[in-house]
Amino acid sequence: MVVQSIEVPEDPADALAAVGALRRLADRVEGAAVSQAISDGWTWAQIAEALGVTRQAVHKKHARRVETARD
Amino acid sequence: MFERFTKGARAVVHTAVSEAKASGQSSVEAEHLLLALATSPELRSLGLDREQLAEALVEEERRSLSAVGLSAENHQQHQSASREPRFGASAKLALQRGVKLAQLRGGRRFRPRDLLAGVLAAEHGRVPLALDLAGIDVDELRARI
Repeated sequence: MVVQSIEVPEDPADALAAVGALRRLADRVEGAAVSQAISDGWTWAQIAEALGVTRQAVHKKHARRVETARD
Repeated sequence: MFERFTKGARAVVHTAVSEAKASGQSSVEAEHLLLALATSPELRSLGLDREQLAEALVEEERRSLSAVGLSAENHQQHQSASREPRFGASAKLALQRGVKLAQLRGGRRFRPRDLLAGVLAAEHGRVPLALDLAGIDVDELRARI
């Protein structure tokens, strides 16, 4: 992944499609990061604080997957 | 909402959930419905190719990211998705549109082709972008449903 510079496309269709792609990318990075943190012994509260969201939000979103992966 | 769905339409929704999970996304979106519809036996005559559409979606993502200066060469995906994915906005819209079109047609049952009509009704988003990249003429496809 190479970041040249952040530019906003002139065509709103392209700009909006880019936002969607970035959200999906962020979602995937978040999934991997949370799994890594849990396996390194972070608590849900610590992960939530690092992400800047509530503990409930991060737990609801990731707990099932992370716990399934550990079984 | 699902009670009027034919067996085939239910199977499509089920496959779409699997597509969303396999993509690592946390929600089922219209593009997952499209991929699922491409493998529906009832729509075989339309000649939709799931692999071709999946490649077009990858290409759409690559282009969209590069439009903001990101290049994702070794686009390494996907751990399997978090929790059971929920239906996202684009999939809900496709379902609503499909149901509405089926009602206008006077159909009592909701079939895979009704769902496809709902998916193809989108003017914006990943589905029309991917169809365009795949070289599919949406108007022509709609006329054949």
